[in-house]
Amino acid sequence: MRAALRVLAPLLGLALAAAGVLVVIEVVAAWVLPDTVGLLVPWRAWGVTLANLSWNENPVPGIAIGVGVAGLLLIIVGLAARRGDVRLEAPTTAMTVTTSPRVLARLVGTRVRASDDVLSASVSASARRVAVAVLAWHDAPPDLREVIVGGVKELLDALPLRRRPRVAVSVRKQEGVR
Amino acid sequence: MSVDLTKSHQTLPAPRPTDARLRRRSRSAVARSATGDRWLLVLIGLVLLAVGVGVTLLYYGVFGSSRAARPLLDPIIVVTVATDPVLWRVIAIAGGIVLALLGLIWVARSVRPEPRPDVVLDGGPNTTIVVSSGAVAEAVATQAATLPSVARARARTVGSTAAPALRVTLWLTDDADVRAVLHRLDEEVLATVCSALDLSALPMAVRLEVERPHPAPRVA
Repeated sequence: MRAALRVLAPLLGLALAAAGVLVVIEVVAAWVLPDTVGLLVPWRAWGVTLANLSWNENPVPGIAIGVGVAGLLLIIVGLAARRGDVRLEAPTTAMTVTTSPRVLARLVGTRVRASDDVLSASVSASARRVAVAVLAWHDAPPDLREVIVGGVKELLDALPLRRRPRVAVSVRKQEGVR
Repeated sequence: MSVDLTKSHQTLPAPRPTDARLRRRSRSAVARSATGDRWLLVLIGLVLLAVGVGVTLLYYGVFGSSRAARPLLDPIIVVTVATDPVLWRVIAIAGGIVLALLGLIWVARSVRPEPRPDVVLDGGPNTTIVVSSGAVAEAVATQAATLPSVARARARTVGSTAAPALRVTLWLTDDADVRAVLHRLDEEVLATVCSALDLSALPMAVRLEVERPHPAPRVA
């Protein structure tokens, strides 16, 4: 979403600027040359079309729904383009320490995959939650989930995180021999 | 008899910024702010959503069937404009200019590269010492890279010349003690930089990454 914001912001700015310039050009042209039908925009033809079209005719609802959906998408991009950083405790007030959820997920994944009973693991992390989905060997001990939860919590304790994320671990066993 | 006419030069310590200000500066050094872009996007989105919902409701007759049957370019508007065309032309031109200026300012702010301010030191009367941003960044990165468990380091100055800050990215090894690294970064690197530049404080934003292990060669 951050990338979408970086692209959309200058594009929308350009669109606003272009609309403003067009308005000025067309109004001045219509003022100076009263018989003009529009220099860059055929606004007289558009005016006739709009005068002959009422609000309860097509394609008004289609365009309105399209405009509403575009607005909703812009709102979603604007609200979701927050930085999802994970904050850490800094030794002084003059320092702010952050890392990315990707780094946190990688550290947790490395710790979880170090177990011989784990065949594979996928980790998704944020500042609030760390979720681990483990695929274990068929002969893994029954308390493997508790062991993994303990290991992940130990790792999180070692990191000076400002907010301790919740840990969720799910274990699924692989059928067949090791 | 001799009289000492020299003024006693009592060097006053540079005023130390308050903790809240330092915290704010270090927090804003984390990354380039996109708050303005985000709120403008949300504002435009809200306007478009309101227009879309309003026109859809109008189409379905929520505001009355007679209102829905009126043309998009309403004769009332045409008559209003025709009664005083000069006024409406001036309003339209002013609106267009404002729109164009706002759009251009937004574009300029969005695409402008983030500044890398130099650090300006007070060298006494009529003297100003400027330490280039590149020199500060290189010194910090080189020193940070020598810390234990730090595989690589990158630094740059951010903020403004009046209120500079540092943005440092550290690539740590897997077995790094993060607390120890941060303490040493503060006590050894930041303290050295502040001392060398004669600054009472220099806010710093630290970004931690994990160094990827180099892949083993596929051919022995």
